[in-house]
Amino acid sequence: MSAERVDVKKKVLSANDQLAEEIRTDLTRRGIFSINMISSPGSGKTTLLERTIDALKDRLRLAVVAGDVQTRNDAERLKRHGVPVEAIETGGGCHLNAEQVTRSLEAIDRDQLDLLVIENVGNLVCPSSFDLGESIKVVLMSVTEGEDKPLKYPAAFRRASALVLTKTDLIPHLQFSADTAIENARSVNPDLRIFSTSSFTGVGLDEWQDWLAERIEENRRST
Amino acid sequence: MSLALEIGSICEQELAKVSESRMTALGVVVGVFSGVEVESLRFCLDVVLKDRFGDVALEIEREPGLAACLSCGVRFEVQRAPFECPECEAVAHGVSGGQSLQVSYLEVE
Repeated sequence: MSAERVDVKKKVLSANDQLAEEIRTDLTRRGIFSINMISSPGSGKTTLLERTIDALKDRLRLAVVAGDVQTRNDAERLKRHGVPVEAIETGGGCHLNAEQVTRSLEAIDRDQLDLLVIENVGNLVCPSSFDLGESIKVVLMSVTEGEDKPLKYPAAFRRASALVLTKTDLIPHLQFSADTAIENARSVNPDLRIFSTSSFTGVGLDEWQDWLAERIEENRRST
Repeated sequence: MSLALEIGSICEQELAKVSESRMTALGVVVGVFSGVEVESLRFCLDVVLKDRFGDVALEIEREPGLAACLSCGVRFEVQRAPFECPECEAVAHGVSGGQSLQVSYLEVE
């Protein structure tokens, strides 16, 4: 029997993309701005988020969906800052998908919200492929990671709107050139908005938070 | 692995639509900027295909990205960042394409 060719041309992530689009439509309709935070494990997503929540929670209504492979530790930490937090334990999965986010959002009061933060699983590869319906992606990179991270994992940096360089207080102890790291990031994505921060000393956090608050304000005006 | 499983599910759906019952080959397109590591995908797909469909010839086609130089307007294919214009060496903006991850075809008998 001779083999017959069947043209399929179907996007592998079409099921995820469709759910992500439903999330986006829902959030847009409610005037909610959303960010998908992506980085390697240990880059400081949760700590940056704790500082950001403390700075913004008096003037903006926030909620967080926090993903981890195992444990709800990040979610528990974030809850102490007085905002609604939903934990997603992926049980081995190295990224969040739109279906998990859809389920988490059901538990969050979206009528009372300005900003939804999705803290992805620590991983620079797979999370960049899965659309979660967010307004923008924000990628984090700590100064202990090596200046060539953007070159090694270009998709995460290409798809992000902003890069937050974290732990800059450690630079004096390292052979790390922030200029080289930023140059590498720009070579992958020239439009990237870049913030150099330390959640420990507070350096650069105002600039990041003001920028984020402006995006949220802009979003509210346009919807 | 979840991508390989999803591809397996798409194959099952497509196979159910035709009268032939066995898949002998599968074509997948992976864009150079899709964020998918081809060798990892191939490894996972080998496991999934073997488990669900037996012996299947797998062809993975790479889709390049397209860049347009902002300085001189030249358009060229790119495989990886940084995107330097071959004509004027400026770092090009305006990269498009190369994002695909799709099941392109099946062969059945």
